Amino acid sequence: MKTHTVRTLRRLSQGIFLLLFLFLFIQTESKGLDQLGYPVRIFLDFDPLIALATLLSAHFIVAGFFFSLIVVVLTVFAGRVFCGWICPLGTLHNMVGFFNRRRPAPVHRGWHTLKYYILFFLLVSSLFTAQLAGIMDPVSFLIRSLSLSVYPLVNYLARAFFDTVYTLDIPVITDGSEWVYDIMKGTILSFEQPYFLQGIFIGLLFFLILGLNLYERRFWCRYLCPLGALLGILSRFAFLKRSVSEGCTSCGLCEKVCPNGAIIDGEGRGRGSECLYCMDCDDLCPEGAITFGWKGRGEGVPIDLSRRNAVVSLVAGAAAVPLLRIVPQSRRGWFNAALIRPPGALDEGEFLRRCVRCGECMKVCITNGLQPTLLEAGLEGVWTPRLVPKIGYCEFRCTLCGQVCPTGAIQELTVPEKERVKIGMAAIDTGRCLPYAYDIPCIVCEEVCPTPEKAIWLETVKVQPREGEETVLQLPRVDIERCVGCGICEARCPVQGRPAIYVISTNESRSDGNQLLLNP
Amino acid sequence: MNRRDFLKRACITGIGLSIPGTLDSLIGSLYAFEYADIGVARGASHEAATKAAIDAIGGIRRFISRGDIVVVKPNIGWDRTPEQAANTNPEVVAGLVKLCYDAGAKRVKVFDNPCVDPRRSYRQSGIADAASAAGAEVAFMDDRKFKDVAIGGRALKKWPIYTDVLEADKVINVPIAKVHGLSTLTLGMKNWMGVMGGWRGRIHQNLHQSLVDISQFIRPTLIVLDAVRILTGHGPQGGYLEDVKVLNTVIAGTDQVAVDAYGATLFYLKGSSLGYVRLGHEAGLGTMDLSRLIIRKIDV
Repeated sequence: MKTHTVRTLRRLSQGIFLLLFLFLFIQTESKGLDQLGYPVRIFLDFDPLIALATLLSAHFIVAGFFFSLIVVVLTVFAGRVFCGWICPLGTLHNMVGFFNRRRPAPVHRGWHTLKYYILFFLLVSSLFTAQLAGIMDPVSFLIRSLSLSVYPLVNYLARAFFDTVYTLDIPVITDGSEWVYDIMKGTILSFEQPYFLQGIFIGLLFFLILGLNLYERRFWCRYLCPLGALLGILSRFAFLKRSVSEGCTSCGLCEKVCPNGAIIDGEGRGRGSECLYCMDCDDLCPEGAITFGWKGRGEGVPIDLSRRNAVVSLVAGAAAVPLLRIVPQSRRGWFNAALIRPPGALDEGEFLRRCVRCGECMKVCITNGLQPTLLEAGLEGVWTPRLVPKIGYCEFRCTLCGQVCPTGAIQELTVPEKERVKIGMAAIDTGRCLPYAYDIPCIVCEEVCPTPEKAIWLETVKVQPREGEETVLQLPRVDIERCVGCGICEARCPVQGRPAIYVISTNESRSDGNQLLLNP
Repeated sequence: MNRRDFLKRACITGIGLSIPGTLDSLIGSLYAFEYADIGVARGASHEAATKAAIDAIGGIRRFISRGDIVVVKPNIGWDRTPEQAANTNPEVVAGLVKLCYDAGAKRVKVFDNPCVDPRRSYRQSGIADAASAAGAEVAFMDDRKFKDVAIGGRALKKWPIYTDVLEADKVINVPIAKVHGLSTLTLGMKNWMGVMGGWRGRIHQNLHQSLVDISQFIRPTLIVLDAVRILTGHGPQGGYLEDVKVLNTVIAGTDQVAVDAYGATLFYLKGSSLGYVRLGHEAGLGTMDLSRLIIRKIDV
């Protein structure tokens, strides 16, 4: 019986990196201090596709640029070990692929080239200033899917279960479940149940892509992943190479077991750019004819790109940019009142050139207020963050979203800086505000207004109600020079459904144009 | 009064009676052993001031018995630091927790329902750390534990109240003294909003009567008003250090109306100028007439 040492090692490595990833993911949550205490975005920092795309689109060197170079160097020397041994999304694909028990005869449709065209498309659009890489970058895709959908789902399940047992109040069992629940709340569950707009859609997309493994194992890695394509190109001349010795009997087993379709014929010939270095073929070869070793440059099997398709993808990438921009959102002087960007966000154009839609900011947002956009910023801005105060306001002294942003689309602010940044302004709807419309006392917006000199102040007026005598009433008023647009007034307004005070993006510090005052 | 106190007092009284009448001054000082209605202690050590204020009204053993489950309810309403005086002083809370344990309390729970993010409020206020270090069970409030109960008040008929408060043997209110847009001041009675669930925003429509109703319903064993730092402007959240006045004072009492009436004097206001104090007085919840009370001031 042959032992599969390399496979065990590889699975160990994948497991460790997946657990590390999940640990950092769960730690992307406030504990009440200003800092998180863990480098939660480190997987994004190591991602060369994000670094390259941001360099092209925003001419900006991301904070993790040198980390990402480590992956580049690793790949140039040792091939796509990142994909086979490290990538947490790849590991999830492996795990789902495990349930794919069909082992059809290997087919080589040439689909593997698709991911290269996707890469070209994305990089060319980056070159023309549209940052689309994050939509398909595997790390960004994974964090976004987990943050906005899978993690909320897991939380919901756990809470529903424990709440049910709690309500049933069964002796001993409920005590036990509450004990477990407490431990889970302190470890893997979020502080509060998160809710996200589009959570369903983003989740379905994620499960669909995982489900493709049941059709063909590592479907995403084979055909779609643009980071895999980038690393594939870099690994073309890797020094760590796979070779087949004379002992090969052309049994074709390696071709069947290769999870990524990298072995293209019964003789074991492989396409280096597609090899994930899982080394299963080495482990499983009955003749021991396959070895991985350090060798010099040599001619492998080429990627096999077609020139025509390459040109098409490049042109499409270039054409996509104007196509995305011929919407009113691109017009000078067009501002969407509902597009309230997080504090520290760059001016809209620059913001869109940098944001990779990883969802880290939405994951870390302390009030759940940061939500993915759909079309508020045009299709180009899909899944970028915006504040929806009705769901959650911007906590006055919190700076977490800027800390986790991998590309500086949201700048990291100090607390004093944060306290001065305006993300919008509040407006009162006097037709529904209790004191204005109904002579009912209410000062909730004033009470919760967090600026030291409150932006919401109370004007004392005398009113004559329909019945009874004249009384004194306090009317909330907004001082727009002081209002930072945090939205806690909207979140706490007792007039629910459609609050009587609400925030619009006007007066946001990041914009020169979206201003109301002569001297902002 | 427990047995030890009884013996001590019996002994002192005995000695006092055996002393010839000429020693008036000594007898006068013995009267000091009578409980004050309100204890006001001032000192740089907030824990010591807390103890001294409670000692003036009979000491913690008068209020907490062995085996008690105690709820200590501070104001942890806001994401502000102790210097900003928007939350109860953490040392006062910690000192009180220690006193409860000294008196034999079995468990001491500390919690509040903040107006902003609880994690930040608990941490930044310093209360989570200080109270935990003193041995208290500091937990965030659990939505499932609010229970609709009949308040039977004039403004509040029923409201969701936190079960830990309903089930505790003793409840101690530890508010901070600060200004507030609608209620003028927030002191002890207003601090009960922190054990209320539901849409608290609606309470503001009839705030003063609601506060009297909830105070009548909860009836704490003891009120310890933190006036270590009081917030004199831009309350209840504050933010400007210029608004903070350092008094290094802790006030203890058992009459909710009287403690709040005394608290008003820190801001040079009369208790009767606060709607809920006046209504509480009229409803017989307590007295706002400070001239009828024994108020003992101590420097520590």
